[in-house]
Amino acid sequence: MVVVSGSSLSPTAAPGSGETVWARLKRSKRVRLLRAPTLVVVSLIIFFGSWQILSYYLLNPYLIPPPSRVFATAIPMIRSGEFFRDIGISLLRVLIGFSLGSLAAIVVGVIMGRIRLINELLDPIIEVLRYLSPTAMIPIAVIWFGIGEQSKYFLIFWGTFFFVLINTVAGVIRTPVARQRAAQCLGANQLEIFLIVIIPSAIPYIITGMRVAMASSFMSIIPAEMLAAQSGLGHLLQVSGMLAQTDRIFVALAAISLLGFATDRLFRWLVHRTLNRYMAFVSVS
Amino acid sequence: MLTVERISKVFGEAESGYSALKDISLGIRDGEFLCLLGPSGCGKTTLLNIMAGFDAATFGRAALHGRTISAPNRERMMFFQDAGSALFPWQTVEQNVRCGLKLQKVRGSEQDRRVDYYLGMVGLAQHRDKYPSQLSGGMRQRLQIARALAVEPQILLMDEPFAALDALTRRKMHAFLLDIWQRTKKTVVFVTHDISESILMADRIAVMTSGPNARIQDIIEVDLARPRDPAIPMFGELYGRVEALLDQETALMSQEA
Repeated sequence: MVVVSGSSLSPTAAPGSGETVWARLKRSKRVRLLRAPTLVVVSLIIFFGSWQILSYYLLNPYLIPPPSRVFATAIPMIRSGEFFRDIGISLLRVLIGFSLGSLAAIVVGVIMGRIRLINELLDPIIEVLRYLSPTAMIPIAVIWFGIGEQSKYFLIFWGTFFFVLINTVAGVIRTPVARQRAAQCLGANQLEIFLIVIIPSAIPYIITGMRVAMASSFMSIIPAEMLAAQSGLGHLLQVSGMLAQTDRIFVALAAISLLGFATDRLFRWLVHRTLNRYMAFVSVS
Repeated sequence: MLTVERISKVFGEAESGYSALKDISLGIRDGEFLCLLGPSGCGKTTLLNIMAGFDAATFGRAALHGRTISAPNRERMMFFQDAGSALFPWQTVEQNVRCGLKLQKVRGSEQDRRVDYYLGMVGLAQHRDKYPSQLSGGMRQRLQIARALAVEPQILLMDEPFAALDALTRRKMHAFLLDIWQRTKKTVVFVTHDISESILMADRIAVMTSGPNARIQDIIEVDLARPRDPAIPMFGELYGRVEALLDQETALMSQEA
């Protein structure tokens, strides 16, 4: 055992403690801070490394193109601008449908949550309609809106709406009675209770609903673009599939994964920056 | 003087519904500390809700200084057992206290004065920028108390406020509440099912039967000097008296069954 002087970044072993270099290293602050990012990097290296080796040497590199080839295929697509154009179009369709769907769902959800009669009237229909996935709605959406942008907005709107609606209603209804009554005692009228107690209490539920709806939207846009579009990542996927260009297929798949991931992270960051204090769930003391 | 005048409460239809309270009458003196003691489910909370104005009595009425209570008002502040539900978790300690003052349209400088004063009284002044999720259970109850006291009510209606706290914290809260009560001279109506707690705190204990058709069995005067010591013989005697009342009622009920 070697005794070396150090700081909290590289701590010293207490003399005679029998602590090994390894254990001392695990204690150090630098190691603790770097642990998670390092593991992420290691995980990615293992993943891409295995993929490269398997495709190149063991499996059919046509069926599963190695990452090196996928990357090489992507470069000219990026250079020509088609890659970012497809990403941009898919993203735009999702964002517009998602924003409109969320907005409508929040408005309707809040009303349903507050006015019992409206809830009782609308709930049966919603309970049934919610099982119609955006994919199921593609044929009718094309007939109603054609294969232009509007049909995509509608499909994403449809998928987002039901999900955020259900979460919004739950959030409004779950506002603790104690909180509403406390506000009443403090002097709030019905409108004030609605604005300063019910809406803030529902925000965590609404945001959670929105986050999942967004992930679902990225999944919904793909079949829509495969069947009824002339641009976007789904379209790219479909054309590459028809031409059996597996490397381009993989480029599209990678783009979809990264896009969904990045948007989710961005959404969470935005929520953290603006609405963080609403996201606390405080229940039994 | 807060009066409960022949209150009965039936949930549901008049004939077939659940009769929670039957013909309850009670007079609560200004500045008094009164406990409503009874087993769980006996309607203590229902009675408290009627006094607060959240619920209406089916027969009879509750009145404050002769005026019928029909709606919640800052004169009668309700406390809830689950402080986490009652507080506003998206607001800081200070904002929670200030909220009631804003709703009451209290002037800015007076708001500041009261916020400082009551936060100081409950000992949360140095935590004013924290959020309820960062406070312990006892601290959250203290915050609820500060928020309620800030609008300067006449009456505090407390529904088993310390039941969810651990025993050690609860002891501190007892001393704390008694101190606040003696300083602010409010009327306190305190619901509990803990006999010791009621003898420790109350001037009078209204012992209730269990539901349905709950009524007040007896009102026991607690004539012990404060601060009260659970070790003295008189405390044990009172405990025995209250316990006997409750047991008597349980025996009667099992006879009827």
